[in-house]
Amino acid sequence: MSKKWTYILGGVLLVAFAGFSMASFKTALTPYVSYADARSKADRTVQVAGGLVPESSSYDTDAGYLHFQLTDAESGEVMAVRYEGLKPANFEDAISIVAIGRFDAGSSEFEANKLLVKCPSKYQGAEVKEYG
Amino acid sequence: MEYLSQLYLPGAVPLWAAVVFAVCALWGYARVLRGDEESRTFARRAYFFFALSVVLTAVVLAIALVRRDFRIEYVFQYSGLDLPSHYQFAAFWAGQKGSFLIWLLWGSLIGLGVMRTSGKAEAPVMGIYTLTVMGLLFILVRENPFVMLGETPLDGQGLNPLLQDNWMVIHPPIMFIGYALGAVPFAFAMAALWRRDYRSWVARAFPWALAGFLVLGTAILMGGYWAYKTLGWGGYWGWDPVENASLIPWLFGVVMLHGMHLERMKGRYRRANYVLASLVYMAVLYGTFLTRSGVLADFSVHSFVDLGISGWLIALMAVFLAIPIYLLATRWKEIPAVKNEDPVLSRGAFMVLSTITVAVAALVITAGTSAPLLTSFMENPGQVGPDFYNKVNLPIALLIALLLSLVPFLTWRGTPLGALMKKLWPAALGGLAIAALAVWLGVHDPFHAIFVFLSSLALIANLQKTFERARSSGLGAAGGWLAHVGVGIILIGFLASSAYDYSTKVTLAQGEPTQVGDVNLTFTRFIPRQGREKERMEVKVVKANGSEFFAYPSLFMNQRTRQVMAHPDVRSSALQDLYISPIEYQPGTPAGAPQRIQLAQGETYEANGLKIAFAGFDLQSHNSEAPMLALENGQPITVGAAMEVTVNGETQRMMPLYSFTSEGAVTAQPMELPGGGAVAVSGINANDGKVQLDLFGLTTAAGEPARLSIDVTHKPLIQLVWFGLYVILFGGILAASRRLGEARRHDTVMEQAAAVKAGRGE
Repeated sequence: MSKKWTYILGGVLLVAFAGFSMASFKTALTPYVSYADARSKADRTVQVAGGLVPESSSYDTDAGYLHFQLTDAESGEVMAVRYEGLKPANFEDAISIVAIGRFDAGSSEFEANKLLVKCPSKYQGAEVKEYG
Repeated sequence: MEYLSQLYLPGAVPLWAAVVFAVCALWGYARVLRGDEESRTFARRAYFFFALSVVLTAVVLAIALVRRDFRIEYVFQYSGLDLPSHYQFAAFWAGQKGSFLIWLLWGSLIGLGVMRTSGKAEAPVMGIYTLTVMGLLFILVRENPFVMLGETPLDGQGLNPLLQDNWMVIHPPIMFIGYALGAVPFAFAMAALWRRDYRSWVARAFPWALAGFLVLGTAILMGGYWAYKTLGWGGYWGWDPVENASLIPWLFGVVMLHGMHLERMKGRYRRANYVLASLVYMAVLYGTFLTRSGVLADFSVHSFVDLGISGWLIALMAVFLAIPIYLLATRWKEIPAVKNEDPVLSRGAFMVLSTITVAVAALVITAGTSAPLLTSFMENPGQVGPDFYNKVNLPIALLIALLLSLVPFLTWRGTPLGALMKKLWPAALGGLAIAALAVWLGVHDPFHAIFVFLSSLALIANLQKTFERARSSGLGAAGGWLAHVGVGIILIGFLASSAYDYSTKVTLAQGEPTQVGDVNLTFTRFIPRQGREKERMEVKVVKANGSEFFAYPSLFMNQRTRQVMAHPDVRSSALQDLYISPIEYQPGTPAGAPQRIQLAQGETYEANGLKIAFAGFDLQSHNSEAPMLALENGQPITVGAAMEVTVNGETQRMMPLYSFTSEGAVTAQPMELPGGGAVAVSGINANDGKVQLDLFGLTTAAGEPARLSIDVTHKPLIQLVWFGLYVILFGGILAASRRLGEARRHDTVMEQAAAVKAGRGE
């Protein structure tokens, strides 16, 4: 194999990989959207943010789901969220919660697979992760 | 000045002194560069006093934390009276300002070592290095940790309970040593360019680069271990921006190490190494910018909120980008480059290929982490999740494994394909055997099977080479190969623990054995808090082979912040971890415990064969006087609650009574229920016409058992992740001690050469 061909092969591999990464990047991108957008884009993973509606959270022991409601401070809209997993630490004190997942039209709930809980600034914050 | 009165001077003064001394050191070294040898001593002393001032600053903050001096805002924010003293250290770096201070502390101390090891290049190396630490120093002057509050609070806000962990005491400071070490090869590289001395810097910077690789690697290992073992995140790596911010410089550091090795062995990669040393430091700064400036605030709460230092960090990046760009642009053509004459199948060519691959991985991770910035111009900026990183890094890992498998059998001069195949086949057979075993164990995805094959091949091939090297030149010479063995191990661990883990969420009623996969779990009891030991749950685990043990996941509430904290119980066996993570605990009620119910008129309560229909209040029949009059006279009023009670199909009218006076004295006689037990009125609500009833001693009420919801995860071969990283780091230690010896010898050789030269001159 001559050196020239090695460079060409290497270049082709790099370009192919660059294309592959860009495509993965595009599909993996979870945009920050409004509740209305989240409802209309039920087919893709998005993230929504909002404040926790007081006393709206409950844990469904049998199904293993945490249910709660988020409200958008500006529009006042409310979004019901379902999260499969542990209630994050300092969940009740959160100034805002970011839910990453997709809207489930069947149950009219946002099905979150990851929550980011933002706390008053004295905390760096706590996070609940879904590890693959 | 009013500003002065708002600062805690015992801390602020040494901080300012540090600025003055740093400027002096810089000025002194600038004089040396201009040929004024006399200034060298001045510059060294100035640097020494700068480091001393920084140490003093850190000590003052530490003392203020230990004394819980809440006048200081930082102490108030991150400490509290109830914070155990060993966590005062964690409070030191819990906040933005303190973490910059610990970074500066390590940076200034490392500079003393850099001064001693920089030889002839001392002035430019120390000049650049002092500039890098001054960047941190200015951030601290701007974000002074010694700002005082207007009045002294009685107690601090306390440390985030998530950070009250022994790992928090040890992990961040080590991480910041790694960050601080990132500036050292950069300083050496820039100084070499400045002096146009392109040959000697790599030998001197190599041990520093290896030290940075080791320390940052250790910090990453600890972070993963912390996340996995105590934080209960279920995994060791989540591709969070903060995690990535430490991984990216580490990966560029790996590339730089190999570039340095190539330069030393073959004289290649000279130009690239300047770029790489700059990239490592830039990655440290950029990671800091991403996680500390608040640009990712909406995407990772791991990140700090914006403290108004984004501008500073951008300015720092601009300065430390401009320096290498200027120096490289003006010297690029002078840097001696060796023409690439390596055949394709040679160690040099393969090293180049592998380093490019690792660099691509680092770039892709950088792009992913920067997604919120890259997409900020779009209508809906977003981020990319772990899927992206896992997907994109899979082909990279495959390629790395392939390259690592072949490298041990290639010589610098080049190896013909036939000879390579001849040497490769025993390792290939071993790899095939392991891959076959994996397929038999359930790895059916062909990509995964290839992954296992290549990783095992890399493992075995490098193990062979390690033994060979160790036999011929001692284990110390085999560090690099050993590190590659670790890469093979860790790759298998990554695949097994992430693609073949399985997890079940289950709710266990106390005392009821429940089969979950191949283990049988029984929630046996709740163990209340005892001293420092938090509330725990005891779960009996019976494995398929009959062996049993008790697991103790913990779920407790932090008293100060009311946060619910969860600690998993991780049980490791040779082949897998059983990861038991608590989700929810419900205490339940014992059988026959009093029950309190509320009924409105017309409502019916029904449970366990008992039915109570509340018909309404009866005020008339129990009072001799009109109720209002009775109240005024201080007489009690008695109210009857008319109800129909049905037990076993037989209905009976009952009217338990409830008396109260205007003074609030209440009497209520319990009334026996037909099926056993009793009912009493424990309250009435005149506004909505509701009655509150207490039911006692109901033999029919079975009570609710306590329930524990847990997440049970099997993580196969996760030990390989830790073990692989240990092997990599151990290999790094071997290499570091070897390169350190070389650097020392290099100095001696140089001195001897100089002496010989001087001797000839006489």
